[in-house]
Amino acid sequence: MTPAGSLLAAHDLHKTYGSTPALDGASFSVHPGEVVAVMGPSGSGKSTLLHCLAGIVTPDSGTVTYGGRELSAMSDAGRSALRRTDFGFVFQFGQLVPELTCVENVALPLRLNGVKRKEAEGTALEWMARLEVDDVAAKRPGEVSGGQGQRVAVARALVATPKVVFADEPTGALDSLNGERVMELLTESARTAGTAVVLVTHEARVAAYSDRDVVVRDGRCRDLEYAV
Amino acid sequence: MTWLRDLGLGIRFAAGGGREGWARTALTAVGVGLGVALLLTAASVPHLLTERSSRDRARAEVAASRDAVVPKSDTTVLRVNAATEYRGIGVEGFLMRAEGAHPVLPPGVEAFPGPGEMAASPALRELLASPEGALLKERLPYRVTSTIADPGLRSPHELYFYVGSDSLTPATGGHRLAGYGDDTPAEPLTPVLVVLVILICVVLLSPVAIFIATAVRFGGDRRDRRLAALRLVGTDIRTTRRIAAGEALFGSLLGLLAGLAFFLVGRRFIGHIELWNHSAFPSDLTPALWQAALIAVAVPLSAVLVTLVAMRSVAVEPLGVMRHTGSRRRRLWWRLLVPALGLAVLGLTGKVEEDAPVDPYPIAAGAVLVLFGLALLLPWLIEAGVSRLHGGAPAWQLAVRRLQLNSGAASRAVSGITVAVAGAVALQMLFAAVGDEFESMTGQDPSRAQFHTFSEKVTGDAAARTIEKFRATEGVERVIGTVETYVIKPGTFGEDEVTPTTSLTVGDCATLKELAEISSCEEGDSFVVHPRGDKELSDWVDETARKGEEVELNPAFGWDPKAKSVRWTLPADAATVTTSRDPIGLEHSGIMATVGAIDPRILPSAQTVAQIKVDEGVEDVAEYVRNTAARIDPGMRVATLASTERDRQYASVQTGLRLGAAATLLLIASSMLISQLEQLRERKRLLSVLVAFGTRRVTLGWSVLWQTAVPVTAGLLVAIAGGLGLGAVMTWMLDKTVTQWWLFLPMAGAGGALIVLVTLLSLPLLWRLMRPDGLRTE
Repeated sequence: MTPAGSLLAAHDLHKTYGSTPALDGASFSVHPGEVVAVMGPSGSGKSTLLHCLAGIVTPDSGTVTYGGRELSAMSDAGRSALRRTDFGFVFQFGQLVPELTCVENVALPLRLNGVKRKEAEGTALEWMARLEVDDVAAKRPGEVSGGQGQRVAVARALVATPKVVFADEPTGALDSLNGERVMELLTESARTAGTAVVLVTHEARVAAYSDRDVVVRDGRCRDLEYAV
Repeated sequence: MTWLRDLGLGIRFAAGGGREGWARTALTAVGVGLGVALLLTAASVPHLLTERSSRDRARAEVAASRDAVVPKSDTTVLRVNAATEYRGIGVEGFLMRAEGAHPVLPPGVEAFPGPGEMAASPALRELLASPEGALLKERLPYRVTSTIADPGLRSPHELYFYVGSDSLTPATGGHRLAGYGDDTPAEPLTPVLVVLVILICVVLLSPVAIFIATAVRFGGDRRDRRLAALRLVGTDIRTTRRIAAGEALFGSLLGLLAGLAFFLVGRRFIGHIELWNHSAFPSDLTPALWQAALIAVAVPLSAVLVTLVAMRSVAVEPLGVMRHTGSRRRRLWWRLLVPALGLAVLGLTGKVEEDAPVDPYPIAAGAVLVLFGLALLLPWLIEAGVSRLHGGAPAWQLAVRRLQLNSGAASRAVSGITVAVAGAVALQMLFAAVGDEFESMTGQDPSRAQFHTFSEKVTGDAAARTIEKFRATEGVERVIGTVETYVIKPGTFGEDEVTPTTSLTVGDCATLKELAEISSCEEGDSFVVHPRGDKELSDWVDETARKGEEVELNPAFGWDPKAKSVRWTLPADAATVTTSRDPIGLEHSGIMATVGAIDPRILPSAQTVAQIKVDEGVEDVAEYVRNTAARIDPGMRVATLASTERDRQYASVQTGLRLGAAATLLLIASSMLISQLEQLRERKRLLSVLVAFGTRRVTLGWSVLWQTAVPVTAGLLVAIAGGLGLGAVMTWMLDKTVTQWWLFLPMAGAGGALIVLVTLLSLPLLWRLMRPDGLRTE
């Protein structure tokens, strides 16, 4: 059932919040190093699909397989460990920890993995340089612009060299210029590192940075990979 | 008018802000309500103490019969104190015998108990009827025929009784009583106690005031965002402040009502609650009207003032809220000025004179300034301290960075604990320093005997058997039992001459060796015992104790024509020895004789004294001893020996402090918990993001712990330093010396427990907020 060579695949996912169905038989797959855009209107279930794929939310039924392992069969601790080591995240508003400086925010995933502070912050600075935000390393998130904050968030998502980055409307709060720069840097860095990107967006302009589109509508997902 | 309009608008926002607005208002109301309830309780304390004392005095013997001989009449009553103790709790009561047809009745008693009948307090009645009271029932085997009503009791859980007797006479210890009601004026508190009470009030009520001030700022972040939205539609800064004050006013008014409700509900149940053997009648818990009115005015007014002051450090702009804390560093000089001013006021007040009346106001003002000054110092110290912290594990880093960004909320939450601990440390030092005045050394030695019994009724033959009965009691290891009487020199003496008299103590050799420095003793031996180093008294003993000569064993012979002479010859070979101290600290001089030398049964008016050593490992051993005593003579007094004896007034002040400190610490814990939970709720989305990264629960748990522990530790350091300073000054004012500097340790321990408690209670919400639902936006 899982498309051949896929790194992460979901099959026939169902998820309901109260009486509202969010996913109603969604299927999805992404290959290593591939950038896939998940598109659809607001409330279509895009974010829920992303949360299920990342093991943040457990679907009511259906399977999510990562590297041959089924996420629903893993414990909460196991899924958390997977998110620390193999996954990275970018959210619409960056969601940086306000009290930490930007470099500390970027270093956080490494620190959570047990890397020593100096080493973690050294690696973080390298990624910040790649994303052209090393000049705000010592500032707190409240002291930098929205575009800079979002690039710091991208650096944070990539710093632990994850296998998959989940980006939920990463340019939603940015102007077009800043949004494009963030997308360029995100996709370029991910491709260089061989990281797959699951990109949730409702903007065709943003989806244009992906290798492939998947459309979610009323909780159903049309992934051509499954049709093969 | 503008003011009223804006305040009204704020009240409308607070009342009509939907679920979230109501939740915030309810939180403030509950917080303020708890504080108000505690203030009303504190305001009721004087009335409570007055009522208790007046009931206590109403059942005491009328002064006229206490101080003079009362003739027997139709209304007089003979009574003897039959107080005892049961499992560490005092059981007070009297054996009574009516001398006429219309005996006076104590308050709360409707009919005079007949022989073998008991009027008992409800608590005693319940205890005697329960299996837990079986050993007490053995001691008080009377038929409970009536219940003492509330006017006859100090408190609802008091164990109190009156038992009717048909055998009580003046000769067997009965004291004639003409009536009830002690109307002599109560002794005023000593200056030292006045100072202690002032400090206790300041220490216990200051954290309550700080708590109320914290409670009116609950949910402040959300309110600020709402005010920012108002700024966007054209509201100016002053108006936003007044609107915020209106919201606080509404919350505090609801808090007043909630506080009144908490107080009234608590008051209904107070009669069922017993803490450390203390309870109160609901009617006793009534605040003075002027104090209640003061609370009703001061609380809303403080709420408005606190909000206006708090708003000064916040810039509510149309596009959001800016806090000045990050950019504007706190200044130390004026924060130091307040406690320094407090110390200066205390210093200028000077030493408290032993006999002069104390002016409480400068002392209270000085203590308040010192304690509130410490609360003002705390934000500066936390800010300065955390700015120097860095590095560490992610949990530590998250906590420290959070405090560096905004330590104001943490300081506010901890300021209550700082004031409470500082005050408690100062009080403890003061207690230790003045303790000598109230804890007199009794000279008793509990390692040699834990109980001392004495009976006026058990004489002669019965006296000797009494000692055997105590020896046969379960758990008793040793009895220093003696039969004691006075003996006189035979002969006729002039009216202006004092009859040579000395004491005669009869016991076995082992007993006598406990009472005098006797190196060798055999049954049949007698001794002349001289006091240590007192030649005059030794000569007086020798006047009566003449070796080889007779002594008169009946001290009544000579003045009572009915008394018969009983003579005994002191053996010529009786050794002269020196007395030593017995377990209750007394020295026996005179004649000592073994049972073989003199049969105690021939002694006409001897009394039994027993000093009893027990095995404390035997459960209820004290009750077995008391039951034996009661079987021998219901009027036999059983005292527990202790090396120190605490003044009752002093003990009640200390009990008040303990009860108050427990309530205050619980209030502070709830304040910190509410602040912590509020902060967590504010960070719901951020916590979800951290979970998305795979952050472990334990990491965030530790982060919460550090966020509590760092400010509380800083608060404790300030509190200990300030408390020691205040304690030293107050001790100097009372002209005492600081004897125990380490008394802050228990309070530091209580602070530590508070950190753990608040963290543990925060964890369930933290776990709940760490669910991924927080990431959902649709």
